[in-house]
Amino acid sequence: MSASQAILPLGTALAAVGIWWLLPGSGMRRRTLGGVLAVIGFGFLGALVPAVSNWFTSGVFHAVAGATIVAAVATISFRNPVYCAIWFGMTLTGTAGLFLLAGAEFLAVATLVVYAGAILVTFLFVLMLAAPEGHAYYDRHSWEAMISAFTGAVLVGILTMMIGSAMLKAEAVQASGPAPTLAEPSVPAAAQPAPYTISRLGAELFTRYLVAVEVAGTLLFAALVGAAVIVTQGRAAMKASAVTREGDAVHVS
Amino acid sequence: MSPEQVLHDQLAALQSFLAVGAVLFGVGLIGFLSRRNMIVMFLSAEMMLQGVSLSLVAWGRYRHDLGGQMLVIFIIAVAACEAAIALALVLMLFERKGNLDIAKWQELRESNQPPFEEEWQPPEDKEEPPQWPHLPPAGVLPESVSQKEFYRRKV
Repeated sequence: MSASQAILPLGTALAAVGIWWLLPGSGMRRRTLGGVLAVIGFGFLGALVPAVSNWFTSGVFHAVAGATIVAAVATISFRNPVYCAIWFGMTLTGTAGLFLLAGAEFLAVATLVVYAGAILVTFLFVLMLAAPEGHAYYDRHSWEAMISAFTGAVLVGILTMMIGSAMLKAEAVQASGPAPTLAEPSVPAAAQPAPYTISRLGAELFTRYLVAVEVAGTLLFAALVGAAVIVTQGRAAMKASAVTREGDAVHVS
Repeated sequence: MSPEQVLHDQLAALQSFLAVGAVLFGVGLIGFLSRRNMIVMFLSAEMMLQGVSLSLVAWGRYRHDLGGQMLVIFIIAVAACEAAIALALVLMLFERKGNLDIAKWQELRESNQPPFEEEWQPPEDKEEPPQWPHLPPAGVLPESVSQKEFYRRKV
């Protein structure tokens, strides 16, 4: 146990230093070194994750999770925002794979279709509309890369520690006494209902969560109107202020 | 498989999904805090949402409850609204200031905060005349082939 207690802070710290050096603003050699350090750090964290008894499931999970995390780190460390968006698409694909592994097929497809298909393409559209040519100077520099990297690392470390200790507690309770609240699914597999089918999800969505669906629809409508208003009213205000500035200039001259 | 084994597997799967969710959240947090491009900041915020969604799905799977997946469906809907509003805002901010740098909007800071001073200045574009290398003459002198002989003047 002491070894794993040492590995967790070590892995988080290595990953933090790696991400710090990977963030824009450092030189090529530091970036390379940072990439190596981040891989080692996340490898330590991955080694801490307990393996399930089915080695195939375990292997697939590790591969998909590793790809997701690599893509996530690449998203925040590339300098060109277009590459950032494309790596974010890779992260989304990895998350969809993890959803699939967790048995949430509908969410996997929805993530791909809605996020990667619609939201990400809108991002790329705005980037193409707005990005100046080449690498902008503000993409080559980060705010306080070290402090933010270590903030994130401390957060991840605390969360991971909490997860580990909660799991240990649940196992200890299971070993010593009757089924605890955390271990509810320890009912025999045959007695459980069919875990997730899309029809069950849909039935639940349109019966129990019907009001929430209506509210979400209203929210989408409001967002659509709001986006249109922001763009049109903002343009009108800009035009008006430009006109007054011109008028002032004429008046002064 | 024994019930203990099943429970251990379920706990292990829950723990690994939660760990990946935590890492996604942390990486998104780092990106949001450190990047200066507004669109990349927004991508990082979406990444934090992905981490939370992963945790919710993992908990829902562990407890055999569809509530987790339901919540993620609504997260996706809200994220779509958020993307529409935020991209419209980013576009307008870009049209006002001419670039996507969040430091251009520092007049919105608290009144008692010192202003952010750019330490780094964009390099001036200096057009230096190209220095061509001077090659020393070497090798055998070619036989003189007159251009007049070599090319036909008229076809």
